[in-house]
Formats: sequence, C-alpha cells, structure tokens
Amino acid sequence: MVARPNYSLRTRLLWFLLAAILLTALAQGLTAYRSARAEADQIFDYHMQQMAMSLRSGLPGSGLGMPGSDLPEEENFDFVVQVWTADGLRVFESAARAALPQRAVIGFSNVQAHGTTYRVFSLQSRSHVIQVAQDMAARREMASKLALRIVLPIAVMAPLLMLVVWWVVSSSLTPVSRVRGQLAQRQADDLTEVGETGLPDEIRPLVHELNLLFGRVREAFEAQKNFVADAAHELRSPLAALKLQAQGLQRAHDDAAREVAVNRLTAGIDRATRLVEQLLVLARQQATAAARTPPEPVVLAEIARLAVSDAAASAQAHGIDLGLGPVDETPIRGHAEALRILIRNLLDNAVKYAPSGGTVDLAIGRNAGRLVLSVDDSGPGIPQEDRARVQNRFYRMTGTQASGSGLGLAIVKSIADLHGATVELTSSARLGGLRVEVGFPLAR
Amino acid sequence: MRLLLVEDDTMIGESVLDLLRAENYAVDWVKDGDMAETALRSQDYDLLLLDLGLPRRDGLQVLRSLRARRLRIPVLITTARDAVQQRIEGLDAGADDYLLKPYDLDELLARIRALLRRAAGRAEPIYEHQGVSIDPATREVMAAGRPVVLSAREWAVLEPLLARPGLVLSRAQLEEKLYGWKDEISSNAVEVYIHGLRKKLGADLIQNVRGVGYMVPKA
Repeated sequence: MVARPNYSLRTRLLWFLLAAILLTALAQGLTAYRSARAEADQIFDYHMQQMAMSLRSGLPGSGLGMPGSDLPEEENFDFVVQVWTADGLRVFESAARAALPQRAVIGFSNVQAHGTTYRVFSLQSRSHVIQVAQDMAARREMASKLALRIVLPIAVMAPLLMLVVWWVVSSSLTPVSRVRGQLAQRQADDLTEVGETGLPDEIRPLVHELNLLFGRVREAFEAQKNFVADAAHELRSPLAALKLQAQGLQRAHDDAAREVAVNRLTAGIDRATRLVEQLLVLARQQATAAARTPPEPVVLAEIARLAVSDAAASAQAHGIDLGLGPVDETPIRGHAEALRILIRNLLDNAVKYAPSGGTVDLAIGRNAGRLVLSVDDSGPGIPQEDRARVQNRFYRMTGTQASGSGLGLAIVKSIADLHGATVELTSSARLGGLRVEVGFPLAR
Repeated sequence: MRLLLVEDDTMIGESVLDLLRAENYAVDWVKDGDMAETALRSQDYDLLLLDLGLPRRDGLQVLRSLRARRLRIPVLITTARDAVQQRIEGLDAGADDYLLKPYDLDELLARIRALLRRAAGRAEPIYEHQGVSIDPATREVMAAGRPVVLSAREWAVLEPLLARPGLVLSRAQLEEKLYGWKDEISSNAVEVYIHGLRKKLGADLIQNVRGVGYMVPKA
C-alpha cells in the first residue's frame, strides 16, 4: 500500500461516501429520465393506437364521418388524424395544414413531413386506412417534462443525503479527535489515563490498551525514579570512601601506611564495583517486571542446582560448606534468569555472613500449597526488629563487617514480587543462623 | 582537640579516623545513633562530625536531643543527603555546618578549624601574643620573628589552649584533648609537652594557674 502521510479516516470516509452518493444519484437520475421517456413513448403510442381503433369502429362502412368531428382542433393539436379510403382518397383530416403523405406501412412508423418528424400509426379497416400521427418534438417535450418531474426529487435528495452523511461521519469521529487532542496537549511525563467514557465500541478498546500501556510505562517510570533517588544517595557513600582512601594514600608517609592505604583503596573500588553490578541487576530486574513478559514454566530445582554450582567457588574460598538439600522438582511459572539471580543473591548473602567453617543449605519443598525455597546458614542471623528493614534497598545492618551493597535482599524481594512469591526471614532451627524462605505459588 | 566521629560506613569511618588522627585530633568513632548519644553524655567533645543516615537512631534525632540538652558543641553534618530541604532541616535542627559526601579532606579540615575558632569566640584565624604568632591552619608558629617547629603532640596541647585564650584547662582536660579512647596515656605527658612548648615559644605564653591548670593569656 502506498504510504499516506496525511491519511485521515474522516476525509477518506467523506470522499468515498459523497462520491458514491453523487454517482448513484447521477446514475439513478439518468436511468429514471431515460425510462420515463421510454414509458411516455409507449403511453403515447398506445393512445394513438386506441384513438385509431375507436375511429375505425366509429366509421360507417363506406361513408364519411363528419369533417368537423368530436376531435377539437386546438385541444388535439399534437395529434393529426387522417382517414383514407382503400382507393387512396383522403376522406378525413383533422388539420388541413398537417396533411401527411399516405403511407402503406400498417402499424407504427416515423414519417418526415413539414420539417419535423411524426410518429404515425396506420390502421387498416375494411374500406379505410386510418392514420393517427403525433409530432415527435411535442411528444419529446412532454416526455421530458414527465421524466424531469421524476428526476427532480433525486436531484434534491442527493445533496441532502450528502449533508446528512457529512454530519454523521464528522460527529462519529469526534471522540477520536477528542482523544487525539487530549494526547497532543500532554507533557512528556504526563502518563495519566485518558477518559474512556463516551467512546464508541471501536475506539474504546484502543484507548483502553493505551491506558494500560500508560500504566505500565508509569510504573516503570516510578520504579526508575525511586531507584535513582535511592541510588543518588547511596552511590555517594562508596565515592566518599574512595575519595578519602585516595587522600589517605596521598598522605601516607611510610611504606606500611601506604600499604594499608592501597589495600583500603582496593577494597573501596571492589565495593563500588559490586554496588554498580547490583544496581544494574536491580534496574534490569525492575525493567523486566515493568515489561510484563509472560512467565514460562520453569523447574526451580534445576535453577537452584545451577545457582549452587555458580556460588560453589566463592563458598569454598570462604571455607563454607554449601550444599543442596532435598529438592522438589515441581515446575512453577516464572522467569528463569530472574530466579537464578534471586537464588544467587540468597546464597551470596548466606556465604558472606556465615563464619568460616560454616554451613549453607538450600532446599525446595512444598508447604501449604506453595513451593518453598529455603536457604539456611550458620551465620549470626538477623535480629527480629531488623528483619523487615533489611529487605529495603540500601539497608545494611549495624555492625556488619561484610561490605555489601545493601541491595541483595532488595533484589530478592523485587524478583519475588514479580513472581507473586513471599519472602520470609526467620532463624534457622537447624543451623542457628538466618533462614530465608521464598514461597512461590504453584502453577495450576 | 577531641572530636566525635559518627559514621556508619566502615570504609569512610576508618579513613576519616586515620586522617584526623594524623592531624593530631583526638578522635572517637561510633557507628550508630545510640552509641553517639552515649558517647556525648559521657565525654566532652570539642566538635561532632555527624552522619545523618544512621542505624538505630537517625543523625537528626541525635542532633535535636543534643541541642535540647543545651549542649553548645559545634556540629558538622557530613552526609550524602543532598536535597536542599534536607540541608535546611539539618541546619535548622542545630547543625553549624553541612558538608556533602564525597568531600575533600582539606575542606573538611578547614571547616573543622573554622567551627572550632567560632566556638572559641574568635573570628581572626591567626593568634598573636607578645611576639608569638600562630596560624592554626598551616601550623606555622613564629616566635620573635623566626619560625618554630612544633611536634604533633606539642601542637595538640597548644591548640586547645590557644582556642580560648584566658580559659584555664586542667591537666586531665588537656589529656582528653590529646588522646582518643584507645590511646595509651603516659602519666606526665602533658607536663612534658608544656615544658617543650615553653622552651620553644618563651615561658610567658603558657601560664600555670596553680592547683587548676594551664592557660594562654588573652591577646
């Protein structure tokens, strides 16, 4: 299809409808005009025939009728009547000046006479030939008048119809231009819904979808805004640390002090790196959530095995026994990559806080209609009063030596929310440390 | 001068602690609001370096309760909260200055000096008395027209005395200015440094108020 830069439904509808009305009216007018004339022709012919026949029955066997008969000259000016005898003698003519040549053609014929055309009907009786003729010009004029009287209403109705169509099309498309106007006036950050009331069925679904899209974009926008607000605050701390560590290095006067300063600076850079990585994970995670990609059936146990093998190296480095307990292989609906990140963060946290020589266990089981993934560690655990707060972004517990980004559990929470899962922090009865339970709804 | 550093970020805390100690401030470091309250109740500090986003008790709460107890200690807020509203809130809660992280260490030190000077009721940055002039910012000391080099400890004893000329400080008070919690204190340290200072700057500068302590006369 050819691209239409200024494609307008209204213009298109109007053009096509108006053109169609115009063409139909013309065609109808023309046909009516023609058929009216043809019918008038037939009616006049019929009249001529009837006239001739009534004359024949009225004529005496051989005698003449009265020359001044019942046919008044003036009223029947259009018609000419002649009667001939069989031997060619004209015994009657209605108008002397209109004498027509005698014709041998019996029935209808067109005859040229007196500079005009006559329609002639000739009828043979026993002794006479009766001719009834009519001036074609007069006949056409009358036929045309008749035909025009039929065409006139069409000519009047067509423009009226066009006006009505114009009005209906324009007013039907008003909601569209209203919505367009509402959208055109918007600021870039105005993502409020467009009113759906008073819209026709054809447009409402479109506006509804538009509003849903607005909603999704708004959520993504809000998430991003909150994230930036938190991040702006929290990015400064590692940067402040880096700056101070660099200045510490600058001011170090001996090798021992320099070494301490360099080690601190390296640790500071590691921390900033981790923070940036976690921020990106979280941002990507929230973008995924906002995009509402449909979840797919995934087997949590498989993802868990993958995550455990990912985390195994760092666990070994910390001297921690990381292992997989009993796992339920029931599939759930979810996003595999996000779930891997969730499990990985839980394992990393557990490994980070468990003391050297400690244990971290991952298990998956069913509980009260949910598939529960649990990570137990033998670390210090989290006091009751801090458990709600640690799930907030950038919250770090007092006195923790591990230099986390404060984002780990926020990422876990965000992914869990995406999956409609609950996150619960309790103390591990078995290992004495923290137990994190993530309860996923079972796929139905 | 004894400072209290309230900072929950371990990396920032340890760096600031070391850098301030290198400047011969006696510094105590606490990591949360409750500990800050406790420290402020048990010890006199010359200045408080306060972070706002603290665990257990927010920095602003610490500050408000401090001012409610009519403590006049200079307070310098160092925080990553940069919104204008937050700065206004901090200053209105009783802070004397507000420094945004990440900050430059030299600026931090300059602001600390300015706050200490103001707290002592002085505006002029250089102290001068009887031919001795002392610049706390550069630590340049001139006695009788020639420069004098002071050791870090000597400076640490001289500075609080110079901060408020005419105010008598006891030996115990001077010791407090000299050492943080974890430092070991030698019994006659203050006398030793006073002796050294008198030798370098003349016997008149630091005067002994018998039975009470030491003072620097008003300029």
